Amino acid sequence: MKKTQNELNLIIAGFTIALFSDLIIELEEGYLPFTVQHIDNKPDVVIKCYNGIKPDILKDSHLVFEAKNDEQRFYSIHKKEEDLIFVIYNQQNRDEIQQMAVLDASFNHWKVYSNLSDGKLLPLRYPMGPIIMHYMTLKSDAVMMHASCAFDGRQARIFTGFSGNGKSTISKLWADAGNLIINDDRIIIRKSADGYFAYNTPMYYTDRPKKAPLNAIYLISHSPENKIKKLSGALAISKVMAFSIQNNFDKQFIQSRLEFFSNLCLNIPVYELGFVPDKSVVNFILANEKTETK
Amino acid sequence: MDIAKISNLKSKFVSREVGNELILVPLTNNVAQMSELFTLNETARFIWENITDKTSTSNLEAAIVETFDIDNETAKNDIENFLKQMEKLLANK
Repeated sequence: MKKTQNELNLIIAGFTIALFSDLIIELEEGYLPFTVQHIDNKPDVVIKCYNGIKPDILKDSHLVFEAKNDEQRFYSIHKKEEDLIFVIYNQQNRDEIQQMAVLDASFNHWKVYSNLSDGKLLPLRYPMGPIIMHYMTLKSDAVMMHASCAFDGRQARIFTGFSGNGKSTISKLWADAGNLIINDDRIIIRKSADGYFAYNTPMYYTDRPKKAPLNAIYLISHSPENKIKKLSGALAISKVMAFSIQNNFDKQFIQSRLEFFSNLCLNIPVYELGFVPDKSVVNFILANEKTETK
Repeated sequence: MDIAKISNLKSKFVSREVGNELILVPLTNNVAQMSELFTLNETARFIWENITDKTSTSNLEAAIVETFDIDNETAKNDIENFLKQMEKLLANK
């Protein structure tokens, strides 16, 4: 089931998001549990949704960032005065623009341009949704990371690393040990007066919004034996930050991220974990995380 | 990699001091996957911070000797190691 209206409200990681259009907006299923009827205060992010791709808005802009590899072209970012313009490409046809969006200097107001699909607009179609979430965190005490997160009812542990390093595998092992998985791929970490919290974000599948107090960060990789090492200082910060989602074309973005991760790693322990992909790693972590000081 | 090249590249990095170390994050116009950002220890940080468009290897060496109270040979090695480290780190940029 998909939700359609011409005004929709979402709360993701505590951020309030309001979408408006003169046309019908459709959200993919993964966003539905994050919708709310009302937002009490002024929304953190306002997204106005329009029909039709507008290549003309790129006039007088310049390219600042491009997310692509040899096979695929995901999106490009262009700067026009103080606005950022995002061009999202169709993953089946790298020369076809799927969506365009304009973000103003406040980082609070988006204009998203999409073509109608069955008479409806899909403004948060992948990867537009995650891009909006990333920019939502940039001017806040928050960050989006490629990571899985398990919550034992008291504390949450984040597992991050390169693709293929075992984020999903280790979260399944913690789930089998009775933990709640906040998410196994992408999370937002947010600082509040009560500490740091991990939140899930809408995925392609349906899952309810989740939040858990963050107590440890693990940089994971497969290993012939379980081994753990506590990291600190510049090394911890740089290694954790490397796995956050970054568009590092702007010095202010980087400064803001460096400050966030410096404070995060000062307050939350960071461990390097080599693990054998079986249930032994859960008890290994429980036995070693508090005592490991090397 | 030489000192002049590093001097030219410095404006393309954002740095943050953490204790005696320095984290360097490169400005980039694409999605670069990095296992870690650049971290410089105390000596490497000193070298980085003291490289300008007027710096030569010999005056940098003299500054290291004076600041860290080490001999010229060690200072020279520190500079060589720093340049090797930077070359490795910048290999994919």
